[in-house]
Amino acid sequence: MNEWLVFLLLFLAPVVSSIPIVLAYKSKEWTEKLPYLSVFGIFVSVVMSLYVFFVLPENQQYTYAWIPEFGINIVLITDYLSRYMGVITAVIAFFIAVYGLDYMKGDYRPSWYWFFFNLFTASMLVVVYSDNLFLLFVGWEGLGAASWGLIGHWFRDDDNITYVGKEGRKVGPLELSWPPSFGGWRAISTIRFGDVPMFLAVAAIWVLSPTLNISEIEWGTLFETIGAAGTIILFLCLLMGLFTKSAQVPFSEWLMTAMTGPTTVSALLHSATMVAAGAFVFIKLTWYIEPWTLHGVHGLEYIYLLVLFIGLLSGLYGALAGSGMLERKVLLAASTMSSIGLMFASAAASFWAGHLAVLVAFWYMAVHAFAKASLFLVSGHLIHATHSRFLSGGLEFGKKMMTPFIVTIVATTFLVGIPPLTAYWVKSAMDEVMEHLFHEVGFLPLILLVLTSVVYSGIMAKFLTLNFIKGEKPHHEHTEGGGLMKLGYALMVSVLFLLLYLIFTSEETHEFVAAGALVKHGTITLSFTVGILAFLAYIFALYKPQISALTKLGTFFSDRMYLPFVNDYIMPKIGFFVSHLVQDYGNRGIDGLFNTMVVPGLFGGISRGIRSIQTGYLSRYVNIVLGLVMFILIIAVVGAWL
Amino acid sequence: MELPMLIMVGALLILTLCSIFSFKYRDLGFYGAIVAIILASSSITLSAPHLIYYTAFVFAIGIINLASLKVIKSVIQGVDYGLVGLMVLVTLYIFTTQNLAMILAAFVLVSVPTYILVMVREGGANVEVGIKYITFMVLATVLFLIGAITLAYTKNAFNGLLYILGYVMLVLGLSIEVGVAPLHEWVPDVFTSADPIPMSIIASLAKIVPFIIALRILISTSNSLTVSITLFTAVLAAISMFTGNIGALTSKEHARILAYSTVANMGYVLACAVVIIKPEFFYFALTGALLMLFANAMGKIGFFNAIKGEGAFSPTMYLLAFSFIGLPPLMGFWGKLFILFSLVKAEYIWLVALMVLNSAISIPYYLRLARELGVGWKANLTNFICVAVVIITLITFLPDWFFRGMEVIAQALSIAI
Repeated sequence: MNEWLVFLLLFLAPVVSSIPIVLAYKSKEWTEKLPYLSVFGIFVSVVMSLYVFFVLPENQQYTYAWIPEFGINIVLITDYLSRYMGVITAVIAFFIAVYGLDYMKGDYRPSWYWFFFNLFTASMLVVVYSDNLFLLFVGWEGLGAASWGLIGHWFRDDDNITYVGKEGRKVGPLELSWPPSFGGWRAISTIRFGDVPMFLAVAAIWVLSPTLNISEIEWGTLFETIGAAGTIILFLCLLMGLFTKSAQVPFSEWLMTAMTGPTTVSALLHSATMVAAGAFVFIKLTWYIEPWTLHGVHGLEYIYLLVLFIGLLSGLYGALAGSGMLERKVLLAASTMSSIGLMFASAAASFWAGHLAVLVAFWYMAVHAFAKASLFLVSGHLIHATHSRFLSGGLEFGKKMMTPFIVTIVATTFLVGIPPLTAYWVKSAMDEVMEHLFHEVGFLPLILLVLTSVVYSGIMAKFLTLNFIKGEKPHHEHTEGGGLMKLGYALMVSVLFLLLYLIFTSEETHEFVAAGALVKHGTITLSFTVGILAFLAYIFALYKPQISALTKLGTFFSDRMYLPFVNDYIMPKIGFFVSHLVQDYGNRGIDGLFNTMVVPGLFGGISRGIRSIQTGYLSRYVNIVLGLVMFILIIAVVGAWL
Repeated sequence: MELPMLIMVGALLILTLCSIFSFKYRDLGFYGAIVAIILASSSITLSAPHLIYYTAFVFAIGIINLASLKVIKSVIQGVDYGLVGLMVLVTLYIFTTQNLAMILAAFVLVSVPTYILVMVREGGANVEVGIKYITFMVLATVLFLIGAITLAYTKNAFNGLLYILGYVMLVLGLSIEVGVAPLHEWVPDVFTSADPIPMSIIASLAKIVPFIIALRILISTSNSLTVSITLFTAVLAAISMFTGNIGALTSKEHARILAYSTVANMGYVLACAVVIIKPEFFYFALTGALLMLFANAMGKIGFFNAIKGEGAFSPTMYLLAFSFIGLPPLMGFWGKLFILFSLVKAEYIWLVALMVLNSAISIPYYLRLARELGVGWKANLTNFICVAVVIITLITFLPDWFFRGMEVIAQALSIAI
């Protein structure tokens, strides 16, 4: 098959297949049937991504002219990262879409939902396969637009089950409770805050480098031309985009309130698109920048140090915040932020630890994606079944909901790094990478990582036990049905076994297996010790998910350490301060310039002038034109003569 | 005589004969013009394959103009098709010759048919409009021709004063001909009082040739003085943009808005003429100018036909408005983008800033136009014409192929003098 057609189908099938439901938005009959077509569109993408994976040659670049005069083209690449990530994205989106057929039944605006859901998927696929930074940015903006649409999907704010935060919980002047419309706004405003500097960074690269293709830019030369300060500024601009989209501290708030969207959206947002996009782009850039070969470039080390610690801090912050959460989805959201932090940290560690660290970050992303998507889908089913977004459900409930129960056990244990389950091998390699930083950075990264891993393991166990074993009895139980939902997450979680198999068989990951060995040089390895610690934390939290003595600390954590104040209090205060400043001092000038005097006066004057010429009398026109012609000719002659 | 030339002559003959006999069989004029255009297009494509995209666009504009003439029953029906056909033939031919005399003849040939067309209306002749229009066209033609010949003279016997004089005369002639402010006085009056259908032809097809000729002459005769004198053109372009956009913004009548919009658009295209000081980037300017002229032609055809038909299908009106405003991926966007890019290369940054500012000023009135002219779908000729022009406006979704074509054309622009 022609590659051109493959890529066209890959990107456009989801979007095109969701157009009919948009057009039929008024007809209830059709909007009930057409979601199947939308899901089929994503299925086409799955098939195409598999075709790219199995049939197209690796590391091949495909260029299609877009605006070649300006060096802006549709450049796609089938490197290691995109081949895997493309399949991951498409498959996860497909499973979630199947689940969504059940989950979104009877919703009040299915057209809106399916269009943006499919646009979301397509945008991420563009980000994944694109080699050109400009094309990547197009997909990137698609993600932003679609996330706004989806997070604020239930825009009527009429059902408390869609809110985030406990009603009436007030801290100082703020009520820590957010409706969907506010959630959507928080997402788009945070992301735009980062996108603009990122766009400037892309523009700067466009000016400085002869090409915008990530794989072809001479990064070392580029950094040397702009010097240490230039490199740092360029990266800071770029990182603003990545950190805001991936919800790293201090930009994490939007992610927590993004849980106001439908659960399917949360699942997609957290596993394979959006937040993963930031980390993925960083991994991709690092893959081609190869910072471990650029130790001579000034300034680069500071940047990688910054990313390392922002990542680790976000990791710990997310895990701690999650430990205090009592809302199903918000707990998972906090844990996602933590995982994404570890991906950033690991990729940044490549500056000292080399290529392996990038590979670790990428594989952690893959494992996390499937595990976290499964957990989100389960929690969506639980919200339907119990009519509550808070953790609840005892063993009796768990027995009635056997499939989600088992899926949760598998997803959590496989994700937290308990030996010998899937994430353990990746985490082991991550431990080894952080250990490697001892000489250059010290022990702090390793300590932060181990702490994060232990707390993270605890919160996953907490999710399991408070939903299925030791939680309160739900007020409402509706345990029947939901076949497609079960199918969705069962399929999703089963991929974790496949990944385990891949880790053991694929060539690139044999170092992971080596890192996870029980004993090395006669002593028990660090990785194994951390694995055991994670296991103990899991068991402990399973047995005792809530410690009443620590309630105050837990509340502090569940208030997300008062970080909402940055978004909802400090930033608006700054905005108000500026607007007051403008109102008190600049307003008269601005008003005068734009609204009352200068510009309107100029417009009015010029417009009157223009119209006063048109009297309709030919003689007047001839006078004007001949006069002007003579005048200009005289000026020209005099000018030339002088 | 070579085969392509023979075909061209054949086309002219068919056009003339059909126009003559159309007094007896009215439809003959229409079919004759179409056959002539097809023949001429194939002749151009045979002799100069690199002109194929240009030819295709002109062909499309010509056919749509002819089709739109079907709406009115003029007293000279039959002959009017012949006149439009002649203009199309000349527009097709303009890139293929290197001969100054032929080029100047082409200028006159594309101008004179509009003298008659402008008077066309149902059941009579618009004499008052005709007089207004012809007065200025004659003045424009005289200035343009004297300017062109003076420039040609200085090419062989250099004289700074004469060069400046010739340059200014040529640009002034062009300005009056296409309606660049401050010499645009005839435009609002003629656009509002003439019939919309002939106006759609004058505002679309008739604008292409004068610009191409002016650019070709200016680029062939440029010398060390050009760098300083282009400032004159730039100032004229800037005045035209502001006059056009502010005039349109504060007008109510649809035809008057379109008149001022023409003034503004001609300002954008005229700005391309400053890029002759950077010949290595001139192909960007040429691409921009032609795309802008085509986008302007499409938009004017659509809007004028909508005025005549008392409204057209709403989405088509909005798409044409977006094209004028310059939203990607419509043709108007690419036109502006390439013009801006070439101006950046020519280091006319202030003109770039003014042009962007003017694009912003133009947004409200184009949207107003689209809202007021947009109605529901009806299967009539007006709507078919509007759909056709919208499709053409979307054809440069990926503009690269057109740009490549222009790159080749730009290499052979100069005239043998």
